[in-house]
Amino acid sequence: MWTRVEERIIKMNSSSRQELHQEHRQEFGQETVRSSSRRHFLSRVAMGSIPLSLAALAQKAAHAEPVKPNLGLQSFDLLPKPTHHEPQAKAMISMFMQGGPSQMDLMDPKPILNKMHLQKFPGEIKYDNAAEASSRIMGSPYQFAKHGECGTEISELLPGLAGIVDDVLVIRSMHTGVNNHGQSIHAMNNGRTQKGRPALGSWLTYALGAETDELPAYVSLTDPQGLPVEGVLNWSNGWLPSLYQGTVIRPVEPRILNLNAPQQFTGKSQEKFLSLVRLLNEQHREQRERELELTARIANYELAYKMQAAASEALDLSQETQATHDMYGIGVKETDEFGKRCLIARRLVERGVRFVQLFTKNQYWDHHGTLQTRLPASCKKVDVPAAALVKDLKQRGMLDSTVVHWGGEMGRLPVIQNDTGVANFGRDHNTYGFSMWVAGGGFKAGGTYGATDEFGHRATENVVNHFDYHRTLLHLFGLDAEALTFKQNGREQTLLDGQPGRIVEGLLA
Amino acid sequence: MNPIIKLVLICLALVLPVQTIKSVQAEQGTDVVYERDVRPILKAHCFHCHGEEGVKEGNLDLRLARFILAGGDSGPAVISGAATDSVLIERVSSGEMPPEDKNLSPLEIETLKAWIDQGAQTASPEPETISEQYFTEEESRFWAFQPIVKRAVPILNTERMLSSPVDYFVLEKLRAKLLEFTDQAPREVLIRRLYFDLLGLPPSVDAVERFIKDERPDAYERLVDELLASPYYGERWGRHWLDVAGYADSEGYTDADTERQWAYAYRDYVIKSFNDNMPYDQFVTEQLAGDELTARPYDNLTPDAKRRLIATGFMRMAPDGTGSGGVDQMVARNEAIADSINIMTTSLLGLTVGCARCHNHRYDPISQEDYYRLRAVLAPALDWQSWRPPSQRQISLYSQQDRDSKAAIEQRAQDATDARQKIVDQHIERTLSEELIKAPDDLKEPLRTAYRTPSAERTDDQVALLKEHPYIQNISAGSLYLYSRQRSRRATDIEAIADKLESEAIADTQEEYLEGIDEPLRGELKTLLDIPENERSDEQKTRLSEHEALLVTAETLKKFQPEITERVASYRQAAKVCRETDARKELDELQNGISAIRDEIPREYFIRALTEPENHQPVTYLFKRGNHSSPSEEPIAPGEMEILHSKVSVEIPANNPDLSTSGRRLAYARHLTNDRHPLVARVMVNRIWYHHFGRAFVNSLGNFGQLGERPTHPKLLDWLSREFIESGWDIKHIHRLILTSYTYQQRSDRSAYLDQIDPDNRFYARQSVRRLESEIVRDAVIAVSGQSNNAMFGEAVPVMEDGVGQIVLGKENLDGERKPIKGDGLGALENRRSVYIQVRRSRPLAVLETFDVPSVAPNCTQRADSNVAPQALLLMNSDFIVKYSQLFAKHIQQAGGESLESQIAYAWKRAYGQEIATDVLKGFLDFQVMQKQELLQADSKLTPEAAEETVLAMVCQALLASNQFIYVD
Repeated sequence: MWTRVEERIIKMNSSSRQELHQEHRQEFGQETVRSSSRRHFLSRVAMGSIPLSLAALAQKAAHAEPVKPNLGLQSFDLLPKPTHHEPQAKAMISMFMQGGPSQMDLMDPKPILNKMHLQKFPGEIKYDNAAEASSRIMGSPYQFAKHGECGTEISELLPGLAGIVDDVLVIRSMHTGVNNHGQSIHAMNNGRTQKGRPALGSWLTYALGAETDELPAYVSLTDPQGLPVEGVLNWSNGWLPSLYQGTVIRPVEPRILNLNAPQQFTGKSQEKFLSLVRLLNEQHREQRERELELTARIANYELAYKMQAAASEALDLSQETQATHDMYGIGVKETDEFGKRCLIARRLVERGVRFVQLFTKNQYWDHHGTLQTRLPASCKKVDVPAAALVKDLKQRGMLDSTVVHWGGEMGRLPVIQNDTGVANFGRDHNTYGFSMWVAGGGFKAGGTYGATDEFGHRATENVVNHFDYHRTLLHLFGLDAEALTFKQNGREQTLLDGQPGRIVEGLLA
Repeated sequence: MNPIIKLVLICLALVLPVQTIKSVQAEQGTDVVYERDVRPILKAHCFHCHGEEGVKEGNLDLRLARFILAGGDSGPAVISGAATDSVLIERVSSGEMPPEDKNLSPLEIETLKAWIDQGAQTASPEPETISEQYFTEEESRFWAFQPIVKRAVPILNTERMLSSPVDYFVLEKLRAKLLEFTDQAPREVLIRRLYFDLLGLPPSVDAVERFIKDERPDAYERLVDELLASPYYGERWGRHWLDVAGYADSEGYTDADTERQWAYAYRDYVIKSFNDNMPYDQFVTEQLAGDELTARPYDNLTPDAKRRLIATGFMRMAPDGTGSGGVDQMVARNEAIADSINIMTTSLLGLTVGCARCHNHRYDPISQEDYYRLRAVLAPALDWQSWRPPSQRQISLYSQQDRDSKAAIEQRAQDATDARQKIVDQHIERTLSEELIKAPDDLKEPLRTAYRTPSAERTDDQVALLKEHPYIQNISAGSLYLYSRQRSRRATDIEAIADKLESEAIADTQEEYLEGIDEPLRGELKTLLDIPENERSDEQKTRLSEHEALLVTAETLKKFQPEITERVASYRQAAKVCRETDARKELDELQNGISAIRDEIPREYFIRALTEPENHQPVTYLFKRGNHSSPSEEPIAPGEMEILHSKVSVEIPANNPDLSTSGRRLAYARHLTNDRHPLVARVMVNRIWYHHFGRAFVNSLGNFGQLGERPTHPKLLDWLSREFIESGWDIKHIHRLILTSYTYQQRSDRSAYLDQIDPDNRFYARQSVRRLESEIVRDAVIAVSGQSNNAMFGEAVPVMEDGVGQIVLGKENLDGERKPIKGDGLGALENRRSVYIQVRRSRPLAVLETFDVPSVAPNCTQRADSNVAPQALLLMNSDFIVKYSQLFAKHIQQAGGESLESQIAYAWKRAYGQEIATDVLKGFLDFQVMQKQELLQADSKLTPEAAEETVLAMVCQALLASNQFIYVD
């Protein structure tokens, strides 16, 4: 082998990248593997005990009963898994509006607030910040109008949403019931108000694997201005295997850590370098050819290498048309950044990524004061790109199988916070009734679901708790919330963790 | 985040064995009996509602066969001989029972049916009465509870030179499986294996050469002894213990995950204890009850006393949220206690006692009462109702001399502070005067008075006045620096005021004079004055000179306006002082001086210890269903679990009058290290074996119970355990027995035959190929790069979050928005061994986490490793690997000779402990040429020399990234 180093490396490098993969795939996978280890290897695959990546290369279809994973040998993987029932959704893009968008100014109009503007609120209010609390009602400064065939009323601040309203279901009765950001984020994103539990994306990738072996199964797209409240816990795998942790695609280059070759690896030098590593590894394996773990590790270099190319390709927006760029608001100052992330999200899902979540920066929607300056700016950033995402997915026939979610961990109160002049008015936290929207993946298209009281403070009609939402989501993914379990500390853990979630039929198409 | 692994491993075994063992019984048609076959199924799924804690739903108790036959509200649960007619079978088959829980497996149901059809037999007569703690004969006969018996070493004929009794036990098993030992591994393999096993470091080039050339017959044994004596041994083996102890440098439990500044002393204790080969019985006793071995007060401690108190840090390792705000204290306290019990029992006993916190153990004969007996042992030190948060459990290591010295230094610092205060006051006074110059004349005095009036005594007018003049109001010690910063501008202001005052006075003087003169002279003089001085004729000058006051200048002003002149002069003086006085600098210097004095105070160190308040014997209650707000009526006395007590009886005193503490933990520790305890020695010996082979006799290291694995080599496990006890709990003695065995020294090659019979190497017909653990990957990379910082002990090397939430080494330094500010790095500290890196529960170092460092919640009895693409990405592209590859390249240029050939050969040897083969070396040289060309082609600005440097680093990186580097044969 070593006498032909030059020849082999040249051969590897002269073939196109595609061919190189093909060649590697053959050598590692199905067609041309040497005799004895191949037989053994296949027998291990059949037994389900082969570590992940090699199996991914060799035998994508070999899966037994994975939704309740076999706890025998610890070999978790990201192979596609069968579901409990026929799924409608295959992927999800969640736009997490951290901080709590104001529902009565965006998608839950409450005319009585304007009628009673500055009058005393006639009931009980749960404040978060008592120091700045006021009991005076704040009318919405924004006009609402009916849109689309469904006639859902949307605020003038969200013209983009107004344009796609027939594909979207606005849920007006969300409820988590814990009035601070961290706990409510965990409720929405990790199933319970405590920290330490796996994120929704971790559960989905644990249950379903991914449709790609070249990209991470679960991706988080963070804002260039910083992480949301609770930081990395937002995409934590909790006690699930770290394989199911969200991979952060950074808001700036390099978008994936350790993904790009070090700068000194110019030209094709990394390919040559990897060929050298591979020669070393093959020589090492030759004397240990029955050690499957070594084989799997060699395959991991192939996967990592593929990931470099595939992820770079997936993140390369120059491949998109100008029309697409324009639709997402790329190139326009306010929307450029978020538009790019939305487009990346679509490209990732298109390539088989299971779950993508976009975050706004720390407390971007937490408008305790100067709401009239800040809320329009927040809307401006995300509205057009978010709408473009739905339109784009629909155009490409992907919306039916992709859940799109837009919403935060809470909404806001009908009364004034910071009652020191109109320009300073804000609204305090409200987790007792807030709005968000969903689209695609089997959710009902068009219209609204649930309602808050006449002031928009508490969800009163068809309340959707975070655990109802989660159970419904899992259902759309073909999963039964109680059967999707992970054994931890002797307990069968679930996303809902015993909370009485229901499948909300009214949300389904 | 990587929390899974340990948890999964603990619970992992909970699924498989039950079914298989029982099913064999059922399938083979042997007699199915209640105690052995049926009860475990019912205990796991049904007792909770049908028998335990007085709960008998439907009046049905399933804990004895005769109760089952008698039945409940629905009649007999079982009709002997008629499974299909039995209600029990009907209910479990339909899935109606157990409710909400998962259903019984088909095999379990088959077992129940077989039992009924065979006449619902019991193995022995059932007891008259049954208590909550009832366990069966079958359970009592479980292997792990039996005495440790040292049986004779098997006598076997073999041509191999077997050197340790261990080998004969292993060979006996091998032969039963028609297997034989494989060949002995070559020396370069042995030395690398030994180095990583014992030190967690790769052997140096010299060490390999020395060993290979060593012709003495006991060269191998000498190497074993040499490595066992190395200080790095404690760092390696201490780390294994730190896993089971759940060592962490942070409290966990809450988001804040507060740091434990002083936890490191326990880590150092563990490392030292392993290096000193502290007898394991002493090691255990000190960790459980070091405080009880130490007389109060814990003051002016001897080194021994200090060590024993530090050792109790073991019982303080559990996550502890009780020092954090925003937690439910009662919940947090009980969690901390429960985690401590988990750590103690999984590490020392290999039993999942924690399962009995809420109900009787579902599988093992551990009752809920047993659990609370153990809790009562800890209660004087861990009393949830009279709790001391972490900060109040520290013992200061200050001596009287330290205290005196601190007091003296504090006095000096106070004197300096007083002196500084005087200067501060002067500056405030000066600043006030300067600022008042700015104020309108009529307000100067009212402002001064208002400012000097203590704020509480100011009149409303004064308050309003000051509010209008914030530049006066805000003068304070804290704001002096702001005034100091604008002193030059203020001096200019004052000078301008003085200038204005002066010119106005001149004008006034002339004005007043003219006013005293009648027309027309006044008009004439005015006209003359308006003529610029240098244009006046001599006559005009003479005319004016008769009127001195009209020719007044700044120099002569004093004569006419003495008061104003004085004021102007004083303002100018004030401006000068103002401009020249840098109060900020002066005060800062004084402050630095005070800090410098305080820096002389001897540093106060603390021990995180487990201690008991004096005369503290709280009463323990059982918590029904684990709920601390539902205590039992009857108190629970401290004691051993019943099943173990029945084997080796022990009385644990509620209070031992001979000690200054309750003596409970000490009595318990003495009992555990009693030479008859069935578990403690076995669990530790099993653990040692595991780390030498990557597999253990009982391969569920933290679970020796029903759901754990059965020992593959029970006789050898017992023989070694007995040997361990008889040698005085000598850990290094056990190492030697194992390491010098032929079993250990075998090659690691698999074969088709072997893989067919024993693919997992349960019987040791070879060694196993093993991947380095995360810390060792990192340490080995640093070592071969020639960068090792071998400093031992001390404060943890800090970790921090970088801009994207990746955890790196560094001192956290956040800006106002809590974003990290890029620091200078930690220098040589970055090259310390991984055992010294801060274990912040919520922040595992990225390099370690990628390679599966376990999370600590609360401890890890057995690690797992993953094999995923991010590991490859890290070895391909990370800053870490690039940095050390470059350093490795520099190192081989210095140490590997002049030529590229010799450097690469050296690098190979350093990385793998072997000679490089000629064809491989040739391959590397080819690579070098090719890669250099590639780089030069890709970058026209690159010099050939720079390209060579880069390629050499790439060669080094290839070695570090290769499987041969991170695996050991």
